[in-house]
Amino acid sequence: MLDYLIKRTVQVLVVLFLALTTVFFLIRLSGDPTALFLPPDAPREQLEEFRKALGFDRPLLVQYTEFMTNAVQGDFGTSLRTREDALQTVLSRIPATFQLAFTALGLSLLISIPIGIHSAYKRNTWFDQTGVAFTVLGQALPSFWLGLLLIYVFAVQFKWLPTGGGGSAVHLILPALTLAAYSVARFARFTRSTMLDVLRKDYIRTAKASGVPMYKILSMYALKNTLIPIITLVALDLGVLLGGAVIVEVVFAWPGLGRLLMQSLLGRDFPVVMAGVFFIAFIYSVINFVVDVLYAYVNPQIRFK
Amino acid sequence: MLRKNHALLYLFLLVAVLLAACTPETAGTAPTTPPPQIQSAGDNNAPSKDLVIGFEADAATMLANTDVNYVTDVQIRNIYDPLIDRDKNGALIPVLATEWKNLDPLTWEFKLRQGVKFTNGEPFHADAVKYNIDYILDEKNNSFYRSRWKDIKEVKVVDENTVQIITVQPFPTLLLRIADDLLIMAPKHTQEVGLEKAATDPVGTGPYKFEKWTRDESLQLVANDEYWQGAPTIKKLTFKIIPEFSARLSAFLSGEIHLFKNVPVDSVERVKNSDNGKIEMVGSSRINYVALNTFYDGPLKDKRVRQAINYAIDVDELLKSVLNGYGTKMTGPLSKVNADYTETKDYGYDPDKAIALLKEANIDPKTLKLQLDTPNGRYPMDTHVAQAIASQLQKIGITVTVQANEWGNHLAKIRQHEMKDMFILGWGPAFDAQGTIENLFTEKAPYSGFHDKEVEAMIQKALPVFDPAERKKGFDELQHRLVEEAAWVPLWQQGDLYAVDKNLEFTPRADEKFAVFEMKWAK
Repeated sequence: MLDYLIKRTVQVLVVLFLALTTVFFLIRLSGDPTALFLPPDAPREQLEEFRKALGFDRPLLVQYTEFMTNAVQGDFGTSLRTREDALQTVLSRIPATFQLAFTALGLSLLISIPIGIHSAYKRNTWFDQTGVAFTVLGQALPSFWLGLLLIYVFAVQFKWLPTGGGGSAVHLILPALTLAAYSVARFARFTRSTMLDVLRKDYIRTAKASGVPMYKILSMYALKNTLIPIITLVALDLGVLLGGAVIVEVVFAWPGLGRLLMQSLLGRDFPVVMAGVFFIAFIYSVINFVVDVLYAYVNPQIRFK
Repeated sequence: MLRKNHALLYLFLLVAVLLAACTPETAGTAPTTPPPQIQSAGDNNAPSKDLVIGFEADAATMLANTDVNYVTDVQIRNIYDPLIDRDKNGALIPVLATEWKNLDPLTWEFKLRQGVKFTNGEPFHADAVKYNIDYILDEKNNSFYRSRWKDIKEVKVVDENTVQIITVQPFPTLLLRIADDLLIMAPKHTQEVGLEKAATDPVGTGPYKFEKWTRDESLQLVANDEYWQGAPTIKKLTFKIIPEFSARLSAFLSGEIHLFKNVPVDSVERVKNSDNGKIEMVGSSRINYVALNTFYDGPLKDKRVRQAINYAIDVDELLKSVLNGYGTKMTGPLSKVNADYTETKDYGYDPDKAIALLKEANIDPKTLKLQLDTPNGRYPMDTHVAQAIASQLQKIGITVTVQANEWGNHLAKIRQHEMKDMFILGWGPAFDAQGTIENLFTEKAPYSGFHDKEVEAMIQKALPVFDPAERKKGFDELQHRLVEEAAWVPLWQQGDLYAVDKNLEFTPRADEKFAVFEMKWAK
């Protein structure tokens, strides 16, 4: 087991290293950041001076080495825009993003699992068909459009909810719903198909034959066996939810990490972009790491492969 | 079974169509009855109602004199006062400085307003002026304003209410720099708490006091009832950050924000037809133009080709059909709100002359292939304008490829001289001749794409002239010359469109500021 843990940890480090390296060089292809910060009438000497102060005049490899050396020590530099510590800036946005992602996740599980189970049980009835139709809809609607639609209906027409911004639970409803729409579709369909498989199993038939009530079969025997693959999917989707929050955060003016990253990219605030990318890559890797380790723990075959 | 499936499919389609009918575009045109809750009718009568202004981006810092950025400046100007300000038309007016004069071309003396206090109780004296200018000049502070102030040699405190600014060489535009850049932070407070803390806890002498700043959410200010010009009528002011335009519009329609700038021309009707909104427009000092790049080795190096393009672009038609009339046509390098404007020749629309000029230059328009770069969403309808220009030039046979760029790339391409034949750009605030002509048409300036040795010599001659009449003469000549050279295709002064709550008394300004002290609620 220890060997396996070490091996996986090394893999995580390699992933982080590669992610940072790729983004470092890609973002520098996007152009020189100095133009966006200095006033347009700044003379060329000052542009040069500014580039020098930021170290952008040095060879790319030197910049890269320096960046990596500092990054290893947790120093991503200071934001070019706000002059605040880049990693701190990123970390200060995490609570808002997590709040949104976990609410969306909880919401989608609450909605999707009952729908999935019921659809499987009532296979090919009107309920099943409508359920499928709506889940397809949820997956097909771009979150950008869905977000604006929800804002228009619930904030502008009915004035029940605020159009955007952060701060309270009320502000969370629309963005969480928007973000959840996609996962609801995935989870519901996945639950349905897994449940269908399970329901075909011999032990279910035996249970039925021995007169166990249907609700008990569904909730006790079938559900537990359905949940295992769903948990995997949830773990993987958490990453998608954290990343997918970018668009939703922009539409709803939600003060999270996604919006910060988008803004920093457009503003060429390299240090913040790098810190943000690092954080997201880190979360992805850690989630995958935990899932893999759990698997290995549950199924010894994996760790000895 | 199959039949049933179909029925459900139709039901699904019906639902989808109904949902689609709820999108803003389609729903807005329908003459629906107004929703029952007319924007919080109860407190409309209270003149002290809070004001919320919607903004697309957050300020970078609360420190003054640091970040050259409209978004930052326009918010913190409600906290800090300048020495000199502009009135609605752009003319200079005294604020914390009451009068000023030149002792000699290198020495300026300013008399300061007496009895003014910062909101922390600190008195405002000459040392505050010195502190703030020194702040800009100190390299350690990395102020993005420094390049504009580098000709300042020293700031001398003569007495409590008098300060002298001594320059390295004559600095004819110093007053403009003071009006457009310099804001006064409380020196004691800033030094005591340190810059890092002061960046999130500003103290000024302005009409509003800082209350709370939540990054990328909102900036909350409260009225400074001790303000030396009197207490503001609006007691609470919030800048709310909403990056996405449609969401901003929704927030306005739902009454969450009362004011925002840059309404796209195709959304004007929606605001006008809403229950709580009106549109205000002002000719901004910001100008839009098509640069004809002479740095690029192409046909536009030939003056006749540049003139031909000026004749072949119908600016009136663009204004009418693309901008729905929201803009003011320009004919030369400066707009009419520019203090140094002089009337120049209008090329007008004359495709025959354009063809004749191309012929004279030995160019068959059918073989002429040009690239036009445009930013995407930076200026009103920019990509649409570019497409329309391409089709106008197509009429005389010129093939134009339109290339739309993300703003950062567009700017970088200009600065690094990577632009091809033509590009669209805006410039502003543009209130004086030097700020525009020096920064656009000299060799070191890439923004107009135009450079000519003789014109450069004329500019260098005009810049240091101190006598106002002499100076004006130089810049008048330059304007005529630049038009004659067809240095660019001037388009228009941007028409700035604001969505304004019906009950808010707000007159937009040419300098794009939100001076909340000037605003009030009707009744």
